[in-house]
Amino acid sequence: MERADVAIIGGGLVGCATAWRLARKGASVVLIEAGDINAGASGQNAGSLHFQIERRFLENGDALAEQGAQIVALSRHAVIDWRTIERELETDLHVAMHGGLMVAETAEQVALLEAKAARESREGLTVRTLDGDEARAMAPYLSSGILAANFSADEGHADPRAITPALAEAARGEGAQVRTGTHVRAITRENGRFVIRGNGLALSADQLLVAAGAWSADVCALINIHMPIYPVALLMNATERAPPIIPHLVQHVGRRLSLKQTHAGNLLIGGGWPSRLAQTLHGGFDLSAKAQMIPESLTGNLLAARDVVPGVTRLNLIRSWTGVTAITSDQLPIVGPVPRMPGLWVAAGGSAFTLGLTFARLMADAMTGDEADELSLLSPARFEHLNGFMG
Amino acid sequence: MSADRITQDVERGEPITIVIDGQQVACFAGETIATAMLAAGLDAFRTDQRGKPRGLLCNMGSCYECLVTDIATGRRIRACLAPAADGMEVSTRG
Repeated sequence: MERADVAIIGGGLVGCATAWRLARKGASVVLIEAGDINAGASGQNAGSLHFQIERRFLENGDALAEQGAQIVALSRHAVIDWRTIERELETDLHVAMHGGLMVAETAEQVALLEAKAARESREGLTVRTLDGDEARAMAPYLSSGILAANFSADEGHADPRAITPALAEAARGEGAQVRTGTHVRAITRENGRFVIRGNGLALSADQLLVAAGAWSADVCALINIHMPIYPVALLMNATERAPPIIPHLVQHVGRRLSLKQTHAGNLLIGGGWPSRLAQTLHGGFDLSAKAQMIPESLTGNLLAARDVVPGVTRLNLIRSWTGVTAITSDQLPIVGPVPRMPGLWVAAGGSAFTLGLTFARLMADAMTGDEADELSLLSPARFEHLNGFMG
Repeated sequence: MSADRITQDVERGEPITIVIDGQQVACFAGETIATAMLAAGLDAFRTDQRGKPRGLLCNMGSCYECLVTDIATGRRIRACLAPAADGMEVSTRG
């Protein structure tokens, strides 16, 4: 049987980045991916680097907004990780951090922006609230219907098709093994180690990281552990290429919208509009099948884009796609060691494009014995009650 | 890639002329802009970021690699779907 210090299940951004960081520290690492590198949410998402508190944290009351605000501490790390990653990997990943605007169209939304900025500045994130004219002076592409915007200078975007393959390559370069097309069928504990079996795989590892996105709950089930991570299917859209007009990340505080212009010139339009997950014959969700687009999501998303950036109506929509990401039962990602099962680590549950490099760096530190207190907010320990009868 | 018209057992529309990047291109009513271009040996529908010519790919409306600009409206249209119309002016230069 093969042996490794760390086994990682999931060839997305977090898995590949953690493999790279660990291998660079001298750990022997085997990364196991059922399909291909970057085939899941890491490669399907919008590529936003968003550091302002997300709209989804604001629409469900103060307690959740307060939790959202605590992520800001991690966002400060993420700003540095993204600003340095191209130099570290010596690769052009189309990282563009020219600032981000979260816009408001109603007086109620303006009040939300102001409250949000106050919360963010308490957490140490510099956000400036601009009135409509100031926003349009900075971003002439914005509609006259925009009443205000919060500007965060570090926000931006990167190319989801570039970063994860580059990280996988870097991991290989540091000696990590990357096994694609390898389905994990069984995980057992033997003499305190994890024994992982799949097609062509029999591996014994000291530590195991599950970073399998929407599949993470199913992977944890293989070792009799509950992890409250649920799949969600979203919608993304791309227009044809256009000359450079939008240097910023554009989001909306009251409607589902994220909008940016890629290096190639396409506008990417998303913002969390739902798609319909496929179902198995037995009634559960079927993550192996493509999620189905919901027509109302497409029109809703494009209307939001039109109302914020009227110029989009001049462009052809050339692609729409669905992708599956994951959400946890309290909306915060789950990142860190599982107390019930020493040696088991989990990193899943959304926000992992913006924060993924940071999750990976801090986990690699913690897995090799260094402190990583920053992750305590996201620790699986908060769901330990679910595993009282498990393990 | 270029294309030749079938010559036998074909009924064509009226002979018409369209203008591609300022160049007169003879074709027939009922043909798409892409057909007219390819038959005239014009196979570059845009240039990529390195200045290299790019052709069309699917020729059935899916890939959007054949987008050209309709000068009259300023709209970007798919050359593989848009019918050629007499006197129509099209640009492959954005």
